Amino acid sequence: MEELKDKNIHQTTIKICEDLKNSSQYKSLFEDIQKLVATPSVKIEDFKSTLLKCMQENGLEAELKNNIYRWVKMKRKESSSYDSFFRKSQIHWDKRIHKSLNSMCSELGISLAKLRGNSEKEELLNKWNELSNFETDIHKYRPVYAPKDFLEVLLNLKGPKRDKSKCDNQRWEFAQLPLRVKNLSELRNLYLEISRGEQILNSNTMLSTNQNFVQLEAERILLGEKILMKNYAPLAQEYLKKGCPKCLRARIWALLLGAEIKSYQISYFDFLKQNVLQYDLMIDKLIIKDINLTASNDDQYFVFEDVLYQVMLCFSRDSEILKYLPNQPAFMQVAFKGKPNTPENTIVFPPSGVIPFHGFTMYAAPFCYLFNNSVELYFVFRAFYLRYWHRLHRVCASSQGIVSLCLQFERLLQCYEPNLWNHFKKCRIYPLRVVIKWIMRAFSGHLPPEQLLTLWDIILAYDSLEIIPLLAVVIVIFRKENLMKVNTLANVEAVLADLSSIAVVPLLQMALMKEEG
Amino acid sequence: MRVSYCTDLDKSVVVANCEKRGWVQVGPEEDWNIYWAGTQTCRSLFSVDSGYRMNDNQLINHFPNHYEISRKDLLVKNIKRYRRDLEKEGNIMAERGDSKYLHLDFIPVTFVLPADYNMFVEEYRKSPQSTWIMKPCGRSQGSGIFLINKLSKLKRWSRESKTPFQQQLNKESYVISKYIDNPLLIGGKKFDLRLYVLVTSFRPLKAYQFKLGFCRFCTVKYDSSVAELDNMYVHLTNVSVQKHGGEYNSLHGGKLSVQNLRLYLEGTRGKKVTETLFDQISWLIIHCLKAIAPVIATDRHCFECYGYDIIIDNKLKPWLIEVNASPSLTSTTANDRILKHKLLDNIFNIVVPPSGMPDVRWNKIPSSEALGDFELLIDEDLVNASENGENSSARNNSKWK
Repeated sequence: MEELKDKNIHQTTIKICEDLKNSSQYKSLFEDIQKLVATPSVKIEDFKSTLLKCMQENGLEAELKNNIYRWVKMKRKESSSYDSFFRKSQIHWDKRIHKSLNSMCSELGISLAKLRGNSEKEELLNKWNELSNFETDIHKYRPVYAPKDFLEVLLNLKGPKRDKSKCDNQRWEFAQLPLRVKNLSELRNLYLEISRGEQILNSNTMLSTNQNFVQLEAERILLGEKILMKNYAPLAQEYLKKGCPKCLRARIWALLLGAEIKSYQISYFDFLKQNVLQYDLMIDKLIIKDINLTASNDDQYFVFEDVLYQVMLCFSRDSEILKYLPNQPAFMQVAFKGKPNTPENTIVFPPSGVIPFHGFTMYAAPFCYLFNNSVELYFVFRAFYLRYWHRLHRVCASSQGIVSLCLQFERLLQCYEPNLWNHFKKCRIYPLRVVIKWIMRAFSGHLPPEQLLTLWDIILAYDSLEIIPLLAVVIVIFRKENLMKVNTLANVEAVLADLSSIAVVPLLQMALMKEEG
Repeated sequence: MRVSYCTDLDKSVVVANCEKRGWVQVGPEEDWNIYWAGTQTCRSLFSVDSGYRMNDNQLINHFPNHYEISRKDLLVKNIKRYRRDLEKEGNIMAERGDSKYLHLDFIPVTFVLPADYNMFVEEYRKSPQSTWIMKPCGRSQGSGIFLINKLSKLKRWSRESKTPFQQQLNKESYVISKYIDNPLLIGGKKFDLRLYVLVTSFRPLKAYQFKLGFCRFCTVKYDSSVAELDNMYVHLTNVSVQKHGGEYNSLHGGKLSVQNLRLYLEGTRGKKVTETLFDQISWLIIHCLKAIAPVIATDRHCFECYGYDIIIDNKLKPWLIEVNASPSLTSTTANDRILKHKLLDNIFNIVVPPSGMPDVRWNKIPSSEALGDFELLIDEDLVNASENGENSSARNNSKWK
């Protein structure tokens, strides 16, 4: 038994080493270690222990540990017996999206990909920092799909085991899907610090007593600085559980996600930029359109519009995203317009494999409150996408995927507010139709930025998206009285339209601390 | 108890707030308790000829000579006098270093034209590369403003005003101020802050700052080059100017809330510098009010809400640009409406005593619940009380004394 375990560890170690060597961080880490080896404090006679000691002193041990910690997070994979079912559904959905892209192209008489002309390239380069002034006609472009369309797709999932006889029922619930989701007491266990009512730093603490807030914040800042000094990612995750001061969030998040900027990241971002300048992809227009429809009109984000153009355009060119996504989306191979269909003239379209839906920009917009520099912003956003956001717009069986999150919302509401649930059912209003946009965008664009960043702290702290449907349910329940008074979808939407007064932490505490009755 | 109100401004936010309180609207000739008036109405009401005498249950939303703060030339004059007076007293607040005031250097160097022309030229010669901004003293909303970077441009302008129109133009004096050419930019764009301050008394000074201000953004990228000197969409943040630009967006109106500005600054620049900035803003508001306190005709029936316009430079130093005594109550966006509604609601909560009936004999010390989104900036009654050794829980920060 012991032997088997040893062997297992041994194999994992080999796997980690292999992956580490292939990672983008490896080169600089290896160079740093080489430099250490060249110093007199590493002795040839006692190579191993002196090197280890030296690495510890120079913070490289923490760096190595961080890499392993992030590797474990990336590789964490739950498998479900229904994986292949959901995978098929996703492929089917991808194909529909691609079809719709192609028909949009033929309707508008444009091609998916072509080389950019020199004059346009130059204009784009000149206006790189003010892309809102880059003239391009997008009024005929429409978002490929919106959260509501995606919900239709999810509701159409028949479920691998669905009983034919029950199919006549109106498509209303996710209950037919054989996925297991956490109930409230399991959520209480997961979000232990919140359930226990421990003091959590958040902007609403201010309301209670100013003095307390100032003192608590000072303590948190002191502790946060220490963790940043230690440069140890698992500590950063633990730290977030008790709330993050606004002034440290950017650095704590970057540490936790391994999104620190080194020369590799700077040149990689520049490489993406060059790619944007080089190629005119149809998806660029969709990205510009999406920013136009969302951030540009939003009084929380309009000032950051130009940064978002840069970041979102570069994101579409990032083939590492396609490489790192745990279940690869189906993608298209597209030849450049007017070029022979040879391998040199074809690209994966889009290189990232991600086709934005209406509101996709909102996955990146809140980071504008943390970073001035688009490179830093980009890598933290990308890390968030690879860890979490991709699951919110793709069909999968994961407990972190949109299907499970929807199901969880439904179960919680049904279980804890049966009256409200029945009221909705009686009026034939499907509550998920109203909240799907909250869930798909992780509340971005719906909660005010400060509250939103607090919510995202909690996602990172517990490494889970389950807080999102929980918050959605709590908000719905919080507005129960007004919801019971209305009986049309439009009015339900009106009651839930304005979330500007929502205080995330107190609401969650209220829900999780309540004794089960 | 019936409270009646009167207003000569057709502002839905005023009417809605009064109606919500169950106040009855009456005409100016009738018996009103609260008058929300335009500055002109207010001035004529207070003029000697009007012969109007207010009773103890009447309040009005302006001080008789509010122009001491709202006219650009008088504001500058009052602040300069305030600094000189403190200096004469040997007050450490008026300490200088390198010829500048160390603690009271919160307005850009400014002169009144034509009166101070020679002084201006002297200052101009010290740094001939600077850009200056000319503003007519009595106008608002960005009208009549232009930038100059050469003395010759000013001379030409002054020659042109000596045409037959001279009479008319000469009436209008201008202020010329050193242009803040290193403004803090967010997303590459320039903005200024609009903050609201309520004063319920000048002697003793009682002032409150509204937490919910906003930043007004230019629609076009900031560009300090000479070529763009005449492009007012780059330089002026006034909504009334920006509205005419092609890029104006009516959904957000170019307005970002002060809370979001703070979130952004703390997130990207750190806590300490952000806190210093906001402390400095409160500091400049208080000293600006103290500067005009001696010359304001203080009247127990009056309260006033000021719109402070502040520009932050890229070293995070705030500069007072001007003060408006009748800030716009028109809403450009949905959030704007919410903000202005709250502003009016909170103002009424503070100026009306707990009994619900305006009463000038009340000590004007509202409960902390009544403050709403206002924060106490200074109340000299409370300061004096705590200085007299009374065990008062004055929330005044000692540094404001």
